[in-house]
Amino acid sequence: MTTAPVPVVVITGFLGSGKTTLLANLLRDPALARTAVIVNEFGEIGLDHLLVEAADEEIVLLAGGCLCCSVRGDLVRTAGNLLARRAAGAIAPFERIVIETTGLADPAPILQALMTDAGVADALCLESVIATVDAVAGAATLDAHPESVKQAAIADRIVVTKTDLVDPAANGLLERLQALNPAAPRLTAAHGAVDASRLFAGGIPDARGAGVRRWLAAEAVPHDFADHAHDHAAGRHDRAVTTFCLRRNAPLHAVTLTLFLQVLAEHCGARLLRLKGLVDVLESPGRPAVIHGVQHVFHPPAWLDAWPDEDRATRIVVIALGLDPLWLEALLDALDAEVAAHA
Amino acid sequence: MSSKRFGSARRTGARRRPRPAYDSLVQHDPAWHTRIARVLAGALGVWGVAGTVGPDPEEARGFVIVPRAGPALRVSHHPSAGWAVTLRDPAPGAEVALGRHAGLPGLLRRLREVLAPEAAPGHLVIGAPQILPRDAGAR
Repeated sequence: MTTAPVPVVVITGFLGSGKTTLLANLLRDPALARTAVIVNEFGEIGLDHLLVEAADEEIVLLAGGCLCCSVRGDLVRTAGNLLARRAAGAIAPFERIVIETTGLADPAPILQALMTDAGVADALCLESVIATVDAVAGAATLDAHPESVKQAAIADRIVVTKTDLVDPAANGLLERLQALNPAAPRLTAAHGAVDASRLFAGGIPDARGAGVRRWLAAEAVPHDFADHAHDHAAGRHDRAVTTFCLRRNAPLHAVTLTLFLQVLAEHCGARLLRLKGLVDVLESPGRPAVIHGVQHVFHPPAWLDAWPDEDRATRIVVIALGLDPLWLEALLDALDAEVAAHA
Repeated sequence: MSSKRFGSARRTGARRRPRPAYDSLVQHDPAWHTRIARVLAGALGVWGVAGTVGPDPEEARGFVIVPRAGPALRVSHHPSAGWAVTLRDPAPGAEVALGRHAGLPGLLRRLREVLAPEAAPGHLVIGAPQILPRDAGAR
């Protein structure tokens, strides 16, 4: 019997942005009762885990380093141990793992570890990345710390915290977040309270295509590149991030897709923060491919049984640091023309 | 069957799968030039190389890449042989062939090695499947 992979939610956000308060509130929600938590803290003495109320044996503290750097291996071992203890009946049978990163963490390596590590990659699947942004200090943090921009850009959901103190619409923060990551729904939290059902509604698509549209959110992302300019009140770090959707009505050759991803991985590397797509592949009519990558690491393409909606176009959502959408569009077209010529 | 007839069949390639000429499918028209120039110029930007990309006045299917520092490169496409890269030596008439590549991925790799040798190449890594099985349902 195969066991369904355990969904993993990564909560990221800059120092003091309210991750722990959010998590503490979420864990009081009955819908999240069966949740194991891994808290990563930077420093010798961890405190945040003391603020999270849940069964002790289901909260694991990773102290003394940052998940994206020194304790990445610890994360994998810890997640593996949780799974083993669950299988042995030593702890309650949790249905989800939530990982709270340090405020300084780059989420990309954490996602890559979850995608590739032999110990856990088959047993876990990334459900979503949630980023907290502080309504009071968020704009200044985005200006000063590129890590915070990356955290917000890569997220599937953004929670604007401390809205009981400041209206984030008034100080331009919401506008900046919209430009930075238009595909991510934004929720607001006052005193850490947020609607868990909305926060965890990102979901993982299944083979029938359920949830794909919501997961991809392509319609929220600009695909008319001529008009795509950062004319909002963006800081210099925001301006480095581009989010766009490559849209193509004609099907792509399967080889084109492979070559495209190879070229991106080879040349763009860390600039490619995240790529999600629904691709019409010529050799697979009626069964589109779902692609998902973080930097140079990709899940294998997954084939849906059918298109999830009436739109049959290829849609590839790219979140990148300083990549020109017109370049990627030209590259995709040029590769497909070469493949067609040799087919 | 005479050897003459057999030879005739071989010459005409009657038993071979016809292979379309590159030109018949990819027109080297202005749109092609624009697209390839954009690919090359965009790649320079990704590698952090300051420079320009323009048409090669001596080669209809060619481009000249002029980095701000270092010698220029000529890139040309030949329907049967793919992409050729030539280093344009500052000395008049002296050029060094840097190789041929069947497709754009190889061409871009070669250009990066020449123009941005310090840029570390990445490698595509395929991890575990993400999508849930059919009966799992979307969460």
